[in-house]
Amino acid sequence: MIKSYKLRRTLSNTFIYIILAVLGVLWVSPLAYLVIQSFSADKSSIPQTLIPMSYGIDNYVKLFTNVETLNFPRWYLNTFVVACFSCVISTISVLMVAYAFSRLRFKSRKKFINIGMILGMFPGFMTMIAIYYLLKAMGLTQTLVALVICYSAGAGLGFQISKGFFDTIPRALDEAATIDGANKNQIFWKIILPMSKPIVVYTVLTAFIGPWTDFILARIIMGDAIDNYTVAIGLQKMVSLEFKVNYFKQFLAGSVLVAVPVTILFLKMQSYYVEGVTAGGVKG
Amino acid sequence: MKKIVALLLAAMMMVAAFASCGNTDKAAGGSDDASTNTGAKFSVDVADFGEESGASLKVWGPDNYVKLLKKQCDAFVKMFPDQKIKINVVAQGEDTAATNMLSDADAAADVFGFASDQLSRLVNAGVIAPVATKYAEDITATNLKAAVSASTLPNPDTNEDTLYAFPETGNGYYLVYDKTVVSDKEAGSLEAILAACKKAGKKFIMDAGTGYYGCIFAFTGGLEINGLEEDGLTQKFNDFDSKKVVATLKAFSTLMHEYKDTFTSLDVANVSSGFVSSKKKASTCGAGIDGNWNATADADALGENFGATKLPTIKVDGEEQQMISMYGYKMIGVNNGSKYPRTSQILAYYLSSEDCQQQRCDELGWSPTNNTVIESDSAKNNVAISALVAQSEHSVPQVNVSSTFWDPMGNVGNKLIAADTNPKKYDFDKLLKDTISNIKDE
Amino acid sequence: MRYIDYMQLNPFQKFGYNFTQFFKKLPGNLKRFFVFLGHVIVKFFVGIGKGFANYGKKFVKGDFAVKLSYLIFGFANMVKGQLIKGLLFLITEVAYILFMIYFGWGYMAKFGTLGTVKATTTMDEMGFPVNVPGDNSMLILLYGVVTIVVSVIVLAIYIANTKSAYKVYEDKLEGRKVLSFKEDVMQFVDEKFHITLMSLPCLLIGCFTILPLVFMILIAFTSYDNAHLPPGNLFTWVGLSNFTDLVSMTEGANKATTFIGLAQWTIIWAIFATFTNYIFGMIVALMINKKGIKLKALWRTLFVVVIAVPQFVSLLLMNQMLQTNGAINQLLSLLTGSDVAIQFLNSTPLMARVTVIIVNIWIGIPYTILITSGILMNIPADLYESATIDGAGPVKSFMKITLPYMLFVTTPYLITSFIGNINNFNVIYLLTAGGPTTSDYYQAGYTDILVTWLFKLTMDKNDYNLAAAVGILVFIVCATLSLITFNMTKSAKDEEAFS
Repeated sequence: MIKSYKLRRTLSNTFIYIILAVLGVLWVSPLAYLVIQSFSADKSSIPQTLIPMSYGIDNYVKLFTNVETLNFPRWYLNTFVVACFSCVISTISVLMVAYAFSRLRFKSRKKFINIGMILGMFPGFMTMIAIYYLLKAMGLTQTLVALVICYSAGAGLGFQISKGFFDTIPRALDEAATIDGANKNQIFWKIILPMSKPIVVYTVLTAFIGPWTDFILARIIMGDAIDNYTVAIGLQKMVSLEFKVNYFKQFLAGSVLVAVPVTILFLKMQSYYVEGVTAGGVKG
Repeated sequence: MKKIVALLLAAMMMVAAFASCGNTDKAAGGSDDASTNTGAKFSVDVADFGEESGASLKVWGPDNYVKLLKKQCDAFVKMFPDQKIKINVVAQGEDTAATNMLSDADAAADVFGFASDQLSRLVNAGVIAPVATKYAEDITATNLKAAVSASTLPNPDTNEDTLYAFPETGNGYYLVYDKTVVSDKEAGSLEAILAACKKAGKKFIMDAGTGYYGCIFAFTGGLEINGLEEDGLTQKFNDFDSKKVVATLKAFSTLMHEYKDTFTSLDVANVSSGFVSSKKKASTCGAGIDGNWNATADADALGENFGATKLPTIKVDGEEQQMISMYGYKMIGVNNGSKYPRTSQILAYYLSSEDCQQQRCDELGWSPTNNTVIESDSAKNNVAISALVAQSEHSVPQVNVSSTFWDPMGNVGNKLIAADTNPKKYDFDKLLKDTISNIKDE
Repeated sequence: MRYIDYMQLNPFQKFGYNFTQFFKKLPGNLKRFFVFLGHVIVKFFVGIGKGFANYGKKFVKGDFAVKLSYLIFGFANMVKGQLIKGLLFLITEVAYILFMIYFGWGYMAKFGTLGTVKATTTMDEMGFPVNVPGDNSMLILLYGVVTIVVSVIVLAIYIANTKSAYKVYEDKLEGRKVLSFKEDVMQFVDEKFHITLMSLPCLLIGCFTILPLVFMILIAFTSYDNAHLPPGNLFTWVGLSNFTDLVSMTEGANKATTFIGLAQWTIIWAIFATFTNYIFGMIVALMINKKGIKLKALWRTLFVVVIAVPQFVSLLLMNQMLQTNGAINQLLSLLTGSDVAIQFLNSTPLMARVTVIIVNIWIGIPYTILITSGILMNIPADLYESATIDGAGPVKSFMKITLPYMLFVTTPYLITSFIGNINNFNVIYLLTAGGPTTSDYYQAGYTDILVTWLFKLTMDKNDYNLAAAVGILVFIVCATLSLITFNMTKSAKDEEAFS
C-alpha cells in the first residue's frame, strides 16, 4: 500500500515535471527567439529563418552609433529619468491617499473611494487631447516634465491595493501611538510606513515600469521631438512602415536592452510584489 | 482617366525634350554638374521676404531624405545671408505628416512633406496655406500637369481651384523581381510570374491587405476614384462596369488560391528582406510589389539581378488586362499658422525647384516631377524611376482620396486572399457593393 | 436556503445557486442602487438649499467686518487677528479676478456657441497668403471647462471664507481664543491630516483626470468630427445625435450594427480572457506549489519573465511571429517538412479570435500565478488530506476545494481583471490591429473591441464625438457593474474587520 502510494506520487510528480517543462519552454521560447534574433547578422531586416544564419553584435552597435535620427541611448536615458521621478511622486501620492482612506475617518470618505474607483474606468484615449492642450497651456508639451506629470498625476487613483494592505495592519498600533502623544502625521511616517515594505516596493516597481511601456500618451505629448522620446515610442517608431525596412533588427536589440533591466528588477523584487499584491489586492 | 494621364505625360515629354535641346551641355554634364549649379538656377526677389527676417523654421522630411534635406536647407540659408534664417530639420514620415499637422498645427513644422492623398484633409481643416500666387504660375509651368492637378483643390470657402502644395516627387509602386527567378519576358504577366516563382520555390509578396495596394484589384477591373463630393469628404467614383470589376476580382482570387503557397500578403518590408540570399540560405522572395522609396533596399539585396518594371497583366475571361495601380505624389506644404509665412513659402518653392529635384533624383533615386529633371540622364537611366514612370501610365491618380477609402479597400484584398474564401462560390458582387457603400460612408 | 444546506452542495450547484441568486437579487440591487442615487441627488439639493440659508443667516447676523468679507475675501480674518489667513483668502480673490479678466471670460463668453468666427486665408497684394485666425472651438470648449472648474473651486474657497469670517466673529463675541496661523497649520498634521494627504493627489487628479474627463463627456454632445476640424472649421453643440447614431439601425455597415457587434465580442472576449487565465493560471500555480516538486523558483521564473518584458514588445514580436512567413509557420514547416503558411491573424474571424485568446493566455497566466500562489498556500492542507482519504482525485479536489475557495476569496480580483479585459487595448491593437477586416463594420474589424474602435475613431478618423459617445457607454457599463458587485462583496463589508 505504502509502496504503491509512493509510486503513484512519483508518477504524478514526473507527470507534473513533464508538463511544467513543456509549458516552460512554450512560455520562454518567444523571448528566446527575440534574444537570438537580436544577435542576427543576416542581411535581411525581417528574419527569414527560425535561427539566424550568422551572428554578431552589429544590431546593438548600430543602436548606439547610428544615432542621427533615432537616438536610442538618449531615449534610454530619458526613460530612466522620467521613470525615477514619476516613481517617487506616484509612490508618495498613492501611499498618502491609501493611508488617508484606510486609517483616517472623515466626511464623505466612502464617496471619495467610490469616485476614485470608477474614475479609473473611463477609457483614457479621449482625455489625451485635453491633457495635451492643458500641458500646452502650461508650456510643457514636448518636454520630459510633461511625461513625469502625466505618469504621476493619476497615480492617486491606484490606491486600492495599498489601502487593502494598510487595512490589514492592526489599528491597535495607531491607538497605542496616539496615547503616547504621536500625531497622525508621525504615525504615518514612523509606524505605518516602516511596516509596509512589501506594498512600498510593489508601488515603486509598478510606477517605475510604467514609463518603459507606455507608447500612446507619450507619443501624443512628444509629437516630433524625437530626441525627447522614451524607449517605448522610439521602438515603436522603428517598426513603423517608414523604418521597418531598415530597423527591424535594431528594434529587436533595443527591446532586449529594455527587457533585461526590467526583468532583473522584477525577479529581484518578485517576493515583495507577490506579498504586496496578495495582501492588498485580494484579501484572504 | 489613365489615357488622359498617358497623353499628358507624352505631351510633357515632348515639351521637355525641346526644353532640354537648348540645355545640352548640362544634360551631358551629369550629376556633379547639377550639384555645383545649386543656387544658380533658383532665384527669388529678396523683396519677397517682406519685413520678415531672422526667421526660424521647422522642416519635416522623411528619414532617408533628412541628410540631403539638411544640405539643401543650408544652401538656402547661405543664399540669403541677410535674412539670417535658421532651419531645423526634423525626421517625420510623409505618411503621418497630415495626422501630426491635424493634431496640433501650432507645434507642427512650417514646411512639411506629405503624400498627395492627405491634401484634402489638410485643406478641409484649414492648416495648409495656398501657394503664393506669385510662384503658382512658375510651379504650374515647370512641373508635370498631373502633379500640379494633384496639388490643386477647390478652396472650401470660395470654391475656386487653388494650388495648395509644391510638387516634390512621384510616389507609387511597381513590380520588382529577381532576374534569376523571373525572366524579363515573364515579368509581363502575373500568371507567368507566379508560375516562375512556384517553380523556384519562392514567394510573390505584396501587401494585399492594405488599401494602398489592395485597390489594385478593383482598379484593374475599371473602377476609378473621381474626386470628392461638395462636402469635401465623400468619395465619388467613375461610372464603372460592375460586372467587369467582379470578374477581375474573381480572377485575382482564383489565381491567389491556385498559387496559395506562392502568392503571399505581407507588408512591403518583407520584399527586400525576402530578396536577400546568402551562401547558407537561398532567398525566399522571387518577385513582389514594392514602392519606389524602398528601391535602394531592393537593389542592395539583389545587386545586378534587380529587375523593376510596370505591374504585369492578368487574364480576365480570356483577355489580358493590365494591372492598374494608384499613383500619387509627395508634395511640400506650408503651415497656414506659420509665424514666417513668406520665408516658408520661399523655402518650399526652393525645395520644389529644379535644383533640389535633381539632387533628390541623383542621390536618392526619387522620381522627379520637374519637366527638365525628368529628361535628365540620371532620371532616365534609373531602373526604378523608369518602372515608376511606366506604371504611372496605368494608374489612377492618388488625389482627393477620402479617409474612409483605405480600410474597405484593404478588406477587398484580405477577402480575396483569405484561406476561407472559395473563389468559385464567393459573392464578389456583394463584396464590391459593400466596399463602395462603406467608402461612401452610407 | 440555510447556510448548512448551501455548504453541502457541490461547487457547480453552489455556482448555479450563486448565479441564480445574483440575477434574482439584481432587480432589487438595481432598485436599491437607483434609490440610493436618488437619495444622493435629493441630499445634494437639500444641502445646497441649507447652504444658502446658512449663507444668508450669517450675513444678517454678522457685524460690519463679516458683511464686508462677503465682498472682500478674508477681511474679517485680517481685522480680527488672523492676518495671514485673511491675506491668503484675499490673494485668491485677486488671482481669480485677474484670471477671469485675462483668460477665463473670453472663453466663457463663447462657450454657448463654441465660436462664430471662421478662420480665413486671403492673398495680400504681393500674392502671398495671409491667414486670419478665427475661433478655435476645441480650445473654447477646453478652456471654458477649465474656467468653470476654477470658478467652482473659488466658490468653495469663498464659502470657506464666509464661514471662517463668521467663526472668527463668533469666537471674539464669546471670548474664545482666536487660533493663530501656526495653530491652524498644526491642525493639518493631526485632526485635518486627511486634507494634507489628499490635497495634492486630488489636485493632480482634478487637473489631469477629472477636467479632461468633463471635456471628453462634453465632446460627445458636439459635432467635433472629421468634417469639423479646428482650426479651419467650427463645431458646435448637437445634443444627443451622436448617441442616437449608435443605436439607430439602418441598412449596411453602420455605426449601430458595428457598436452592437463589437459590444458582443467585447463581452465574449472579456469572459474568455478572464476565465482562461484564471483557471489555467491556478492549475499551473498548483502544479508549481505541489509538495515534492523541486526547483519551484525556477519554474515560477520561467513564467514570470513574460511579465517583465514590456507588453508592446512581446505583442509586436508575437504579431511578427504569427505572420504567414513568421517564426511559428517556419517552425511548423520544419516539423511537418512541408510548406506551412497558416493565416492566423487575417483569414477567418474564429481563427483570429482564438489566436488572440491564446496569446492572451501567454501574457496573462504569469500574473495569475503570482497572485494566486500565496492564497493557494493558505488553503488548509487537511482539507486536501481528508479529500484524498475519501478517494478524491486531483481533479475532484480541485473542483471541490480549490475552485470554490479561490472564487470566494478572489472575487474582487476577478472583477478588476474582467473590467481590465473589457478595456484591454494592448493585446488587440498590437496583435491584430482589429483584423481580420470586414465590410460589415464601420471602421472596425472582427477582433476589434470597443476601446480599440474608440482609439481608431479618435486617432485615425478624427471622429472625436462618436468616440466620446462610445467611451461614455463603455464607462456606464463598467462602472455600474463594478459598483454593484464591489459593494456586494465581502471585502467592502469587512473593511473594518481589523479595526
